[in-house]
Amino acid sequence: MAELSYRDAVIRGISQEMRRDNNVVFLGEDIGKAGGVFKATVGLYEEFGPLRVRDTPISEQAILGAAMGAAMTGLRPIAEIMFSDFVAVCFDYIANEMPKISYMTNGQVKCPLVIRTGNGAGVRFGAQHSQSIENWTMMIPGLKVVAPSSPIDVIGLMAAAIRDNNPVIFHEHKALYATKGEVPDGEIVDTLGTAKILRPGKDCTILALAMMVHRAMDAAEILARDHGIDAEVIDVRSLVPLDTQTMLASVAKTGRLFTVEENPRLLGWGAEIASIVADEGFWDLDGPIVRITTPHIPLPAADHLEDLALPNVPRIVEKIRRVMNG
Amino acid sequence: MVKSMAIENDDIGNEKRLELWRKQVEIRDCEKRAYDLFLQNLIKGTSHLSLGQEAIAAAFGVAMQKGDKSFCTYRGHAHTLARGVPMEGMLGELMLRDIGLMRGKGGSMHLTSVEHGVMGSYAIIGAHLPIACGSAWRAQYLGEKDVTVCFFGDGTTNIGAFHEALNFAVIWKLPVVFVCENNLYMEYTLNSDVTAVASPAGDRASAYGLEKIVIDGNDADVVYRTANTAIEKARNGGGPSLVECLTYRHSGHSRADPGKYRPPGELEKWMERDPIKIYKQRMKDFGFTEAQIEAVEAESKRKVERATELCKASPSAPEELLTADVYADGGWAWRN
Amino acid sequence: MPEIIIMPQLGETVAEGKILNWFKAVGDDVKIGDRLFEVETDKVTVEVEAIVAGKLTEIRTGNGATAKIGATVAVLGGEHVLATSASMPVAVQNTQPQSTPVPAPSVPSKHGVLLPFEEVRTPLGRFGKAAAGDIRLTPLARRMIAQRGLDVAALAQQALAKGLRKVEEKDVTAFAELPASPAPAQKLALSISAADQVITLNAIRSRTGEKLAENWRTIPHVFQAIDVDFTEVEVVRARHKERFKTETGYALTYLPFIARACCIALQAFPHINARFDGKSLIVSNSINLGIAVDLNHNGLVVPVVHGVQDFTLQGLAKAMGRQIEKAKNNKLTPADFSGGTYSITNNGAFGTSFTSPIINAPQVAILSSDAIRKKPAVVGDAVVPRLMGTVGQSFDHRAFDGAYAAAFLSKLKNTIETKKWAGELGENT
Repeated sequence: MAELSYRDAVIRGISQEMRRDNNVVFLGEDIGKAGGVFKATVGLYEEFGPLRVRDTPISEQAILGAAMGAAMTGLRPIAEIMFSDFVAVCFDYIANEMPKISYMTNGQVKCPLVIRTGNGAGVRFGAQHSQSIENWTMMIPGLKVVAPSSPIDVIGLMAAAIRDNNPVIFHEHKALYATKGEVPDGEIVDTLGTAKILRPGKDCTILALAMMVHRAMDAAEILARDHGIDAEVIDVRSLVPLDTQTMLASVAKTGRLFTVEENPRLLGWGAEIASIVADEGFWDLDGPIVRITTPHIPLPAADHLEDLALPNVPRIVEKIRRVMNG
Repeated sequence: MVKSMAIENDDIGNEKRLELWRKQVEIRDCEKRAYDLFLQNLIKGTSHLSLGQEAIAAAFGVAMQKGDKSFCTYRGHAHTLARGVPMEGMLGELMLRDIGLMRGKGGSMHLTSVEHGVMGSYAIIGAHLPIACGSAWRAQYLGEKDVTVCFFGDGTTNIGAFHEALNFAVIWKLPVVFVCENNLYMEYTLNSDVTAVASPAGDRASAYGLEKIVIDGNDADVVYRTANTAIEKARNGGGPSLVECLTYRHSGHSRADPGKYRPPGELEKWMERDPIKIYKQRMKDFGFTEAQIEAVEAESKRKVERATELCKASPSAPEELLTADVYADGGWAWRN
Repeated sequence: MPEIIIMPQLGETVAEGKILNWFKAVGDDVKIGDRLFEVETDKVTVEVEAIVAGKLTEIRTGNGATAKIGATVAVLGGEHVLATSASMPVAVQNTQPQSTPVPAPSVPSKHGVLLPFEEVRTPLGRFGKAAAGDIRLTPLARRMIAQRGLDVAALAQQALAKGLRKVEEKDVTAFAELPASPAPAQKLALSISAADQVITLNAIRSRTGEKLAENWRTIPHVFQAIDVDFTEVEVVRARHKERFKTETGYALTYLPFIARACCIALQAFPHINARFDGKSLIVSNSINLGIAVDLNHNGLVVPVVHGVQDFTLQGLAKAMGRQIEKAKNNKLTPADFSGGTYSITNNGAFGTSFTSPIINAPQVAILSSDAIRKKPAVVGDAVVPRLMGTVGQSFDHRAFDGAYAAAFLSKLKNTIETKKWAGELGENT
């Protein structure tokens, strides 16, 4: 057992898989010699060499296109898109090419690759470098989407993503890179499509993703201590495949559902889950489903404004308390 | 300035010539049948024919070895047939029947046969150029000896992915050959009206440190020699090439387009340089008899008839295929 | 190389063609373009020409015979290895690997394969209206009210009285735990001597005790009984009890047979599968059987098996076994007690002849079965030993009359005695 930072967990997850399988290769901008702009890939170039860890020009389309071509013909590439906002530059590969090739070719072609990208706000990078775009990727058939909240999940889900034979987009949270967590020794392999109940409870269910998981946990503490509300907190972890059974079972137990989402309001990941629960879990609901999100605005650079925009612990507590007691 | 390929001795040989003739004739006949089937409403949706552009696909098809990978555009019927895919697989896919290469799941614009090295036909302009780089990277990384050939049109040379891919292929010295089929028209617009340079691919080569290669795309021998050179260079670790082939398409951009934007006389002028016409004469020049030449044509027609029969008799794919192969495990479950 | 001649596509909607006349015979040479045969469809008659050449070696579809479009009608040039009369020509080289036609889910689902147009499994069934007058009820509250047979009007009334605008789960839970019409247990002043032992009622007994007293006081109970011959039941039971025990872990007693017969009889006498609210009989389409389980003389609980009207004997026995086990292991939840429409109590273990049980309000009847043993019985004109048991029913005389109840018992007896039980245990009868 050791305490590992989220960014070191990225390195551990990738190197675990690259040691295990020679077909796993890695390309991206500044990922090799420089160890990544977030220092999340330090040491990989030194261990695996310039043929397996390749620095590319600033060519997002070429990065993803090459990853796809390599995956189609026998390799298992990891491609980095430095800031998740940049997926908009190479979105053709994410929306039109990678997730459709297996279907269009009647299964002849497979596309086993991982796109890892720095997602989310909280580090004052401004509107074009701070977005949470996991919901953009959730809505494309054929793509798998993960967003870990802790170092142990980074490793386990990275391994699962690399071993998966489909295109997987792996959203790392930039503001979580420095956070630490306990990680056991040895190989760690998790399962895509599984959510985790981090705090069991009986009064309401709170679903959260990535950085919002930590805020939901803090909010649950306060709700229990100060307001007598015993919340069950679930880390969603995987948007596609979606572990609807865990979520539905939780709502069947508590009767109340809240989501805490970093993405802007419209069509955030929680909207889809709210729809599923309102349908399949209708007769378990004892009150309205409430989504706690960032407002539907671009993100400001100013630190106090950015902190105001994202769901913070006081706002989460207040909303849940008000709705539960109303 | 056009790079010329001087013909000194017969470096090609009659065996290869017969193959070149056969492939061009079969592509021509199969494409004409596709045209007819579209008129009979047996081919639905859209279809992009390459009538008049047979020499390029055929020549590269003969030059490529088994195991080489090819990527082409939505105008990819010729390139698919040229890799040895049976006609009924291709026509069947155009007709969206179960006998099609992808059982109707992909359609005319996405013809794929991994078995034959046809690694997809791509509808988004330029998308497959970086993908071709990836295939070449894989060969380089694994020490495999296959070459990746990537076909596209003149219009592609103006899209971002073209430039990213060329740069990428050169800096990593990838075993890929980029083949630009310049048929003068980008969809309905004359390409020269919207391109900063005269040779859309040839005049961009130097920007990536590559040699300018512009050839007569309607002479299968010329294309074949250039293809061989470029492919061998890649196979031996010499890096990528960019080859621009001058040609012309007889029909409109797609089946829906009658091509009325062409100036009068242009089509007729190019029909004089029709690849089939050129090669038929070439065959005679190299000593093939009328009987031998016509035997290939007759066999081609027989194959086309047979393929048509088989396709017409083929049912549509079963309904279960609707949700098959969204994911690698064959399924589509996004939730539990 | 052998070539096949297929029945060609003759028109968009044509599925088959009848060969009227072959122009070639086995042994003839065929050139491309030769006339092969004349074929008739429901639309036209056409001549089919050869598109392949060879010697005609086999005719599969002769004059007057019909073949499906695409089927092989003849073979040229030798034995065609792949003999087929299927509609698909098999000489085709399909170059792509065929993918499995039934997609498997990427993520294991306890519900099985995900259906294309049922991606979200909408629950069917309604649990009452969303509003009672001005009071709104949450979906969960409505479901609980329906499943426990509670009084919506009373709940709405309660909410109004408290100045609330809605009824939620906590309101329903609280309401359900209230005694039906509060009649607190009388504690009599008794003199207690040193020789006496004071045993306070345990939780289960005190709770149920009040209800029992209330039910006895308010419901006009009438008891009827009928003798039932279990001999044939025992024949089938003996055949299956080992297997059943091995497969399920539960015992196959007489009780499931009686319960299943009840389900059949209740469907013939639906007023007995009902609840009474004092004014109306609420007849239920769903048979939710309460099975009384003795907890080692420490009290009685009556868990319910829901919606068992169409269960086979096997299914019902398993469902009952599960509830009984849960009861004995103290694993029952409130849902297990809610919604009962009829109850069965079984006292046979101690050899009693019959028991007159107390009805579980708001139900209108309860069945009791006692010991089943060999007794003299009359079959034809002879007195023979048969396996006999007395089955009795207490019923609420406000809900229906003695004749109705007696007819029910008669149907029950008849079902137990004459039903082909083996068929419901997996045997082919």
